[in-house]
Amino acid sequence: MKSARDEILGTLRKSLAAGEPRTARRLEELRSRIQNSLPQVQPHFDDDPLTRFCHKHVAVHGTYDRIRSDGIEAAVVRHLTGLGLDTQWHLGSGPLLDQTRWTDQAFVYRKTADKNTKVAVSEAFAAVAETGTLVLCSGPAVPSSQNFLPDDHVIVVESHRIVRHTEDAWAMLRDSGATSRRAVNLITGPSKTGDIEQTIQYGAHGPRRLHVLIVE
Amino acid sequence: MSLSASSQRVEFQERARQALGSASLQRAMAKARGGFVDHRQDAVDALPEFDAIRDAARDIKDHVLANLDGYLELYEQKVIENGGQVHWARDADEASRIIAGICTEAGAKTVTKGKSMVSEEMYLNPVLEAAGMTVVETDLGEYIVQLAGETPSHIIAPAVHKTREQITDLFHQHHSPLGYTDRMTQREALVNEARSVLRERFVTADVGITGANFLVAETGANVIVTNEGNGDLTSCLPRIHIITAGIEKVIPSLDDLSVLLRVLARSATGQEFSSYTSLYSGPRRIGDMEGPEAYHVVLLDNGRSRLLGGQYQPMLRCIRCGACLNHCPVYGAIGGHAYGWVYPGPMGSVLTPLLNGFDQSLDLPNACTLNGRCKEVCPVRIPLSDLLLKHRLEQHDRRLNTVLGRFLLSAWAWLVCRPRLYQGVMALPLWVMHRLGQRRGVLSRFPGAGGWTDSRDLPTPAPRSFLRQWHTRNLRP
Amino acid sequence: MQYVVTEIETKTPISVGLFVTCLADLMRPQVAFAAVSLLERAGCRVRVPREQSCCGQPALNSGDRASTTGIAKNVIQAFVQDDYVVTPSGSCADTLINKYPALFRHDLQWASQAQSLADKTFELTSFLTEKLDLNLEGISYPGVCTYHDSCSGLRELGIQQQPRTLLADVEGLTLSELEDSSVCCGFGGLFSVKYPDISGRIVTDKCAQIQHTGADTVLGGDLGCLLNIAGRLRREGKGLKVFHIAEVLAGMTDGPAIGEAEDQT
Repeated sequence: MKSARDEILGTLRKSLAAGEPRTARRLEELRSRIQNSLPQVQPHFDDDPLTRFCHKHVAVHGTYDRIRSDGIEAAVVRHLTGLGLDTQWHLGSGPLLDQTRWTDQAFVYRKTADKNTKVAVSEAFAAVAETGTLVLCSGPAVPSSQNFLPDDHVIVVESHRIVRHTEDAWAMLRDSGATSRRAVNLITGPSKTGDIEQTIQYGAHGPRRLHVLIVE
Repeated sequence: MSLSASSQRVEFQERARQALGSASLQRAMAKARGGFVDHRQDAVDALPEFDAIRDAARDIKDHVLANLDGYLELYEQKVIENGGQVHWARDADEASRIIAGICTEAGAKTVTKGKSMVSEEMYLNPVLEAAGMTVVETDLGEYIVQLAGETPSHIIAPAVHKTREQITDLFHQHHSPLGYTDRMTQREALVNEARSVLRERFVTADVGITGANFLVAETGANVIVTNEGNGDLTSCLPRIHIITAGIEKVIPSLDDLSVLLRVLARSATGQEFSSYTSLYSGPRRIGDMEGPEAYHVVLLDNGRSRLLGGQYQPMLRCIRCGACLNHCPVYGAIGGHAYGWVYPGPMGSVLTPLLNGFDQSLDLPNACTLNGRCKEVCPVRIPLSDLLLKHRLEQHDRRLNTVLGRFLLSAWAWLVCRPRLYQGVMALPLWVMHRLGQRRGVLSRFPGAGGWTDSRDLPTPAPRSFLRQWHTRNLRP
Repeated sequence: MQYVVTEIETKTPISVGLFVTCLADLMRPQVAFAAVSLLERAGCRVRVPREQSCCGQPALNSGDRASTTGIAKNVIQAFVQDDYVVTPSGSCADTLINKYPALFRHDLQWASQAQSLADKTFELTSFLTEKLDLNLEGISYPGVCTYHDSCSGLRELGIQQQPRTLLADVEGLTLSELEDSSVCCGFGGLFSVKYPDISGRIVTDKCAQIQHTGADTVLGGDLGCLLNIAGRLRREGKGLKVFHIAEVLAGMTDGPAIGEAEDQT
């Protein structure tokens, strides 16, 4: 008996090309279309990426702070204190976070988030100005559960890593080999749901609030 | 397939009548109406390139469909390279058997699910429950309909037919035993209660099952788009991640993904981008401190491969945004359950007969005014109303419609083709109708008008037709 | 009668064949008389072939290709001699313009004839605005009107601005736009007979929105929609008048509106 795979592919080939055999060359053509893939139609905008990102991020209910690289801890503490929260958090990893020396103002966990996690501080691989989106990649020291379990999520991003369109972020992922990470999460604003009376309510399953620290 | 068969046989018209008579359904639908439409319109107005992007989205999907076998192979290779497994299922039964097998082998007790319409196609939940597992839907809307013992009535807003009062009752009934004894009536409180209840489920689940908005051949990733984050918690926390997807979901590259994402959220909810768009490829990598140990993709055919190359192929471009439902007056009137199967609204009326068999759903292609709004808003330009008309032609060619209907139609057409005879034959009934309705201007009842006059009057016709007046007065040659 | 014609400074007037539509023919002849009057006012010579009845939509929308084909051939032949074919209905115009050519796509003998009918066929308001220069001086309608865009005309033929342009020239007429004016009224031809309760629900919503405009008159370009809307308004006991746009443009609004009793004015 034919396997389901062979049968489905067989039916596809029959339906598509009336029996035309799919050659290795054809597969190579498709592979080359993928490898040479280029951006297609993109929304045009005049703003510089940083301005556009901030504007779009606020439009999706996010907040942000523009800081210097030595001000990360202070900014996180300020943000949490402002919300009346304890200054302890789950910490991700990245060039900025890794070089930050945390003082005794902060209590930092380097582990996966759990159901009681209140705050996580992550570093974005990139950000996309087009839609106010943050791009986060999973990795050995970067558990993606930190993106979804906390009530409050603080994401640090270097301003020069804010690109115009998603395609630019893909290019960065490809260049750095990050497309092979398990998870690439594109985050645009806090968690929300419209499932009750089609009215937006924030904090469905993921973070209730999203704060971005743009490091310049 | 016993479940599917029984649910399909319930007559569409009877379901529609019940829906029209349900005060709560009508209240919920009235509340939802307009919101989706206005938000989409705002998003479209704010993007001058929208139509050009729609064209590009259509072209990408057409290119994939023309090379579907090749892209599926390339995608499969990537998944395997990433350490995942790909399973192929010819039909819904085979798919649910595969999934039940994976879950059983893993000794799963609790299974969380992100919203997956394809898993509804498989009637997966009852199969897993029969195997002794607890299945928890985690999309808030889908969770609500699961508590109610129902199925989604909308492909992106599963509980659109539920009022807040009904949700309050459901939560109170099902959450009280868990210690949530207060009766929550406000939206925020209801959302928080569900968040708290479902959080326990997320962290204890053994298997997470999600759908896929797209499968990217370039990287082997499945893409899942949500606003709640439930899909991500379902993908990241359990030991095993299973992805269910129709074979038409594969796309070539990340750049193609960008194009499709630009039309998806805008068409669905009027958002530029959903809160969470996630690409998951394979199980946890060496050194990762979390992530599933096993990653399975179940590719479902279920009739799709047969549609390629035929007149309904454009339907396989569908990205399940729900815009056609939101803009359909019939869907707005009767809601999703009346359609009788997984996919409601215009896209469902085209797809259901194709996947389930023409004779199973004769009403669906006919229960449409052919107003064309669905076609107008489709992000991948599926000519939905034209496809519904093709269905009607096919029903007629296959002689699936009633003998009486066919006879009346041919008799009428025969008469119409003989205009002078037609004008003569129509004269008497016209005169009679005119006499009957002359005084009031309308007829409030008329034999043969079916149920037309149940909900509206029939304006009284003229005593003599225009053509007879014109030509007997001999106004012109 | 005063008229201006832009296209041809007229010695030989444009010959227009009027496709009456079965609904205007049987239910509301005044719409056809109004169409004739408007076309003549704009300088056309109007011919009404006797060999016409219906465009075949009920058969086509029921999937009966053979019957539709037969009807279509009749319509094509009936209008062979005319320069233009004009019809006071967006949905019938769509059938002649878009559906017939598709129907005969594989029929070498008829394809070109269907196409030439399609090429010369116009919905009334688009013909009046795009091909002619109609002078509506002296035409008045004292009232607040709202306009229902019928679906086929709107989506298949792009008719939206044309009727509004014409109505703007009617003295005393104010237009109060209908929210969701582009949403179907629930008529859908045989749909309203096969699924009367769904259709009834949709037209009820439509009538509620009509009420919200504060208009005293509903206008439209398709009798199907107008009969449906008028029928529902009458059932609700609402006193709104319903007219085909041609009747207003031709100043034929003294008699009863659609669904209105004769002794009532």
